[in-house]
Amino acid sequence: MTIRHGDRSGGLFGGGLLPQLPGGIWTLSGFTTFWFLGVVLPLIGIVIFSFLQTKGVKIQWDWSFTAYEKLFFYGGGNLLERTIRIAATMTVIELLLAFPFALWLAKGAKNNTLKLITFTALTVPFFLSPVARVIVWRSVMSIQGLVNTALLDVGIVSEPVEWLIFSDFAVHLGLLGQYFPAMVWPIFLSISLIDNEYLEASKDLGGNRWRTLYHIILPLSLPGIVAGIVFCFVPMLGDTVVPQQMGGGNVLMISHNVYNMIGARNFTMAAALATIVLGIMLAFQVILWAALRPMGGLSNVFASLNR
Amino acid sequence: MTAHVDMPPVLSSRMPLGQRIAENWSAWGSAALGYIVLGFIYFPILWLVILSVSAEPLTGFPGDWTLQWYDDMFFGSGQREGEAYGGNFRIVKPLLLSLLLAVITSVACMSASLAVGSVLPRIRRRGPFLMTFLLPLMVPGIVAGMSIFLFFRVGLHFKMGLWSLALAHFIWAFPFALLAMMVVASRFDQRLLEAASDLGASKWERFWQIEVPILKPGIFAAGFFGFLLSFNELPFSIFMRAGQTTLPLYLWIQSGAHNTSVPLIFAMSTLITIASIFLTFVAIKVGFSEKK
Repeated sequence: MTIRHGDRSGGLFGGGLLPQLPGGIWTLSGFTTFWFLGVVLPLIGIVIFSFLQTKGVKIQWDWSFTAYEKLFFYGGGNLLERTIRIAATMTVIELLLAFPFALWLAKGAKNNTLKLITFTALTVPFFLSPVARVIVWRSVMSIQGLVNTALLDVGIVSEPVEWLIFSDFAVHLGLLGQYFPAMVWPIFLSISLIDNEYLEASKDLGGNRWRTLYHIILPLSLPGIVAGIVFCFVPMLGDTVVPQQMGGGNVLMISHNVYNMIGARNFTMAAALATIVLGIMLAFQVILWAALRPMGGLSNVFASLNR
Repeated sequence: MTAHVDMPPVLSSRMPLGQRIAENWSAWGSAALGYIVLGFIYFPILWLVILSVSAEPLTGFPGDWTLQWYDDMFFGSGQREGEAYGGNFRIVKPLLLSLLLAVITSVACMSASLAVGSVLPRIRRRGPFLMTFLLPLMVPGIVAGMSIFLFFRVGLHFKMGLWSLALAHFIWAFPFALLAMMVVASRFDQRLLEAASDLGASKWERFWQIEVPILKPGIFAAGFFGFLLSFNELPFSIFMRAGQTTLPLYLWIQSGAHNTSVPLIFAMSTLITIASIFLTFVAIKVGFSEKK
């Protein structure tokens, strides 16, 4: 059996095992082809599509910015601004709440049972139906709901508070719990990978806790913070359930309009809206790459999990 | 705004008392705020369960305990009080479709993440591959869903149906399944395969007797992710339905359209939530015992 070492110098495949397992490479390239057809091509297609026109479900191949002009003429600018504002605000709030919590969970909490319960509590919501999690807020926050009745009974307000539901506030509130675990997990993972010896060394060298936080913990947990921001901001932009259930038609976000445009066969306008969102995503990816580069890239994050 | 950000009291015994108290306070503050947000996740779930067994859930107050809504959901829908409650609530078909899709997605996730996860760690430049496979995590569900719809339906004139639902669910769940698999697979010691082949094991023997048993926690996790992520998936399904209605889609449509079906939605959501929590607990328990 021959084991090749020739392709060590920067070749695609490291180690000598692959020549023994040609099947593995076929599997991978087959699956990658499938993934290109199912995921990457459609995403490229949507960008091309946004510069075309359609008649019914037929495509007309003349290139123009008509879809974008129509999109902004019909208030797409406001819609995007509102969606990005809400998603960005909530991402910042989640980060401010999740970072201290993750830091405490990774380095401060001592009780293992409590930690296990907390991990479980942070995992379970991910697998629950978003409709089931959000719909009940309506009966808590409505005019004759739980909160308003309590406020009236105690006498804090004399009339029911109307902005508790179907408002900007309600949408923010609905998003808060929905995306908290997505922010905590990556930050927790990156902080718990920081060696305690670094923290001790910083202390021994006279750094107080703020300097340790700023010079040691923050830079080393940057990949987690960036990942958390992506995992919060991206799905929030496209959230379907919260604007519908908590905004009740008063706070429209892009999801609502995308479905309406598709329903009305306004395919190119929907594609234009999606292309703008994709552009924002791409900018985010570039930032993610830049932030992960000092750590040696995405694959090394997995390798570092082994330690 | 770093009022609660704090170095944990790792070495607190060496510090002056005043500093120690300050650190304890900010540690407590950080923890308390986190648990308050967790409360925002769990309070609605708890409240949902309570209201689902209440006679008048629309008023938002529990009381007059009853299982009426569960009964109506499966059996007497539309019979009681004429059209008042859930006149057209038909839960069984969407439920079966969702279960079927979840099983398909689960099996597909297990085999695909095993195939990819057992090859990927052996490749030196796996970053670009990983980035490509994890791409759906970086794109909002509605954008990815719409892109698949436009590409296959409008672009290539395919008919949407069960296949497109299954494809979309797989694309949504696979990145998570792969992540879970990669955590296990990157720990895999490649020398074991070398040793096995030196001892004369064939390609298939190496696969079934070494790779599969060692990667089992990853396979299990991939199947679990595939099942529950598909079962509760909504944004993709909205584009792919073409006459088919999955359970989350059905609840979403009902909750938007008729206020009168809300009690039944509460009851159904409670059942789904309890089943999902139960499955997650089983998975966590199995996952922990696998590690030992």
